[in-house]
Amino acid sequence: MKVQTASATITFARTLESESAEFYETLSQKHPEHKDVFLSFARENAKNVAQIERAYYGVITDAIEGCFAFNIETDEYAFDAGLAEDSGLSDALGRAVEIEGKILKFYSDAVEQSKPLMADVPRAFEAVAKRRRGRRPQLEHTSEASSRRESA
Amino acid sequence: MALLEEPIKEVRTLKNFIGGEWVESSGQLVDVVNPVAGQTIARVPISTKEELDAAVEAAKNAFPDWRATPPVARARCLFRLKELLEGCFEEISRIQTQEHGKTIDESRGETRRGIENVEVACGIATLMQGLYSEDIAAGIDEYLIRQPLGVFGIIAPFNFPFMIPLWSAPYAVATGNCVVIKPSPEVPISQTRLAELTEEAGIPPGVWNVVHGGGTVGNAMLEHRDIVGITFVGSTPTARLVYQRCGDTGKRVIAQGGAKNFMVVMPDCNVDRTIPALMTSFFGNTGQRCLSGANLVIVGEDDSFYDNFLKRVAEAASRIVIGYGLDESVQMGPLRDGEKKARIIGYIESGTREGATLRLDGREDFNIVGDYPRTCFLGATIFEHVSPDMRIGREEIFGPVMSVMRARDLDHAIEMANANPFGNGHAIFTSNGGYAREFRYRVISGNVGINVGIVAPMAFFPFSGMKESFFGVLHTQGQEAIRFFTESKVVIERWF
Repeated sequence: MKVQTASATITFARTLESESAEFYETLSQKHPEHKDVFLSFARENAKNVAQIERAYYGVITDAIEGCFAFNIETDEYAFDAGLAEDSGLSDALGRAVEIEGKILKFYSDAVEQSKPLMADVPRAFEAVAKRRRGRRPQLEHTSEASSRRESA
Repeated sequence: MALLEEPIKEVRTLKNFIGGEWVESSGQLVDVVNPVAGQTIARVPISTKEELDAAVEAAKNAFPDWRATPPVARARCLFRLKELLEGCFEEISRIQTQEHGKTIDESRGETRRGIENVEVACGIATLMQGLYSEDIAAGIDEYLIRQPLGVFGIIAPFNFPFMIPLWSAPYAVATGNCVVIKPSPEVPISQTRLAELTEEAGIPPGVWNVVHGGGTVGNAMLEHRDIVGITFVGSTPTARLVYQRCGDTGKRVIAQGGAKNFMVVMPDCNVDRTIPALMTSFFGNTGQRCLSGANLVIVGEDDSFYDNFLKRVAEAASRIVIGYGLDESVQMGPLRDGEKKARIIGYIESGTREGATLRLDGREDFNIVGDYPRTCFLGATIFEHVSPDMRIGREEIFGPVMSVMRARDLDHAIEMANANPFGNGHAIFTSNGGYAREFRYRVISGNVGINVGIVAPMAFFPFSGMKESFFGVLHTQGQEAIRFFTESKVVIERWF
């Protein structure tokens, strides 16, 4: 689906954050030894949504190109948040890296496309993208720690 | 996309808000219709002159106490109103989409600009400070005090139901005046909701009044001896009439009229950024705004630039998603009603008759997202080979119609814009600072855009207008509104 309005883009961002938060909440239950990391991601997702919405609601006025600001093809950022019953932690972490990559790409594209909007909106997208960039090393660290534990 | 939830779920009969009470009108009731599907969402009274008189009386009675309320205390009421508006932001925005038809992004934009005006008026304690000069002569001082005047009337149009009364009302009230607002009877619901919030914010009874109605109430406002001033936004013929009649009855007046805005495109413009700006300008709010682009003037004799640019404009316009504004994917909603659509179609027919070429025909070439009747919908329309003397190049259409013209050079484009009787929101798209300065300097337009297609001044700037687009001296919003709503009293003081 193509998304062109600011409103629909914000809703899409909310959906990505919400679905990935659910994914991490599920992981925290399946792998309680890493629940701190997974739940911190889920909590951060809620903050991301709040930051983006605050920026959007704060600057949207009748003067900006809100209805013509974006050209987002949502299928490009779609991800599968489901995990097979018998999947292990390494599968889950692999999926998490994949999900983060998709969402990061969305935010990077959104930063570029939201430039016609007032600065706060691209700045909010950039701030969220920056936080998300920090997740990959954390996921890799979790994976390494898990491998070490298994080999020990 | 799925529709956002509608806040208006049942048809209620609106009441007037007079002296802090919700008063049933004895006037005839008229349906308020959501233009998307023709569904009645409220009933609004066409109030009587006596009901207007009662509101003015309530305002007049409230005035002495309110003007004596310290500005900081008045500001606190407005701070509370701002907080309440933030809390109801989404509800108010969706109401506008339901009552008017605009998209949810446009409604939210309107809500935000309305709130911004309340925010600016919250600074009243400093905004209405006077002047003081010591020793203008030996032992003599002189100072200026800004004092409120009494009761103001605010007559609102249909195209921005929530925001436009807020260009005036917060400043009027902050400076110690009382107001009577007459919303457009086509879109009265968001103003009713706003009045409910003023009550909750602690604005005292009689300071903020709403009387629904049509010409009877509007005329009675213009004639009323206890109304000291009027702000009006609407068509140019009515704005002129309001101005004249306020002159006759000695009222101060801000009368904002129509427009025919020229969007001048230089060959050196940033095409990728200009196209969305033009889409918003010409087709945002379905062209029903006094800052909409109307004439697209492509400058230069380079046919290939003209052809390529216009091709991209037409492609973008033909892809506009049309439907119910509560679907967040929708970029353009319906017109307010079928009568307005018929009027615009009349213009499209006149364009064809006068020899313009229809590049994109919004009468037929569009699809609606969702299962809605086409009654109030019209697609984006583009005419080529328009000359400034054709009706579609000269008169305000107030719909999603773009009239494309060519100019030899910038001088020619400015001449074309200046020859038009309106002067509201002309804009230039260019990467050249020299062209931009020349345009800004010479074009006769109250608001000027440089790479901005909707030249809507922020709340702390006046909403200007020139020529047939504005009748008056001071404007709504910001410092000019403070001056409009106050009288300057000068005192020269000496003590023996």
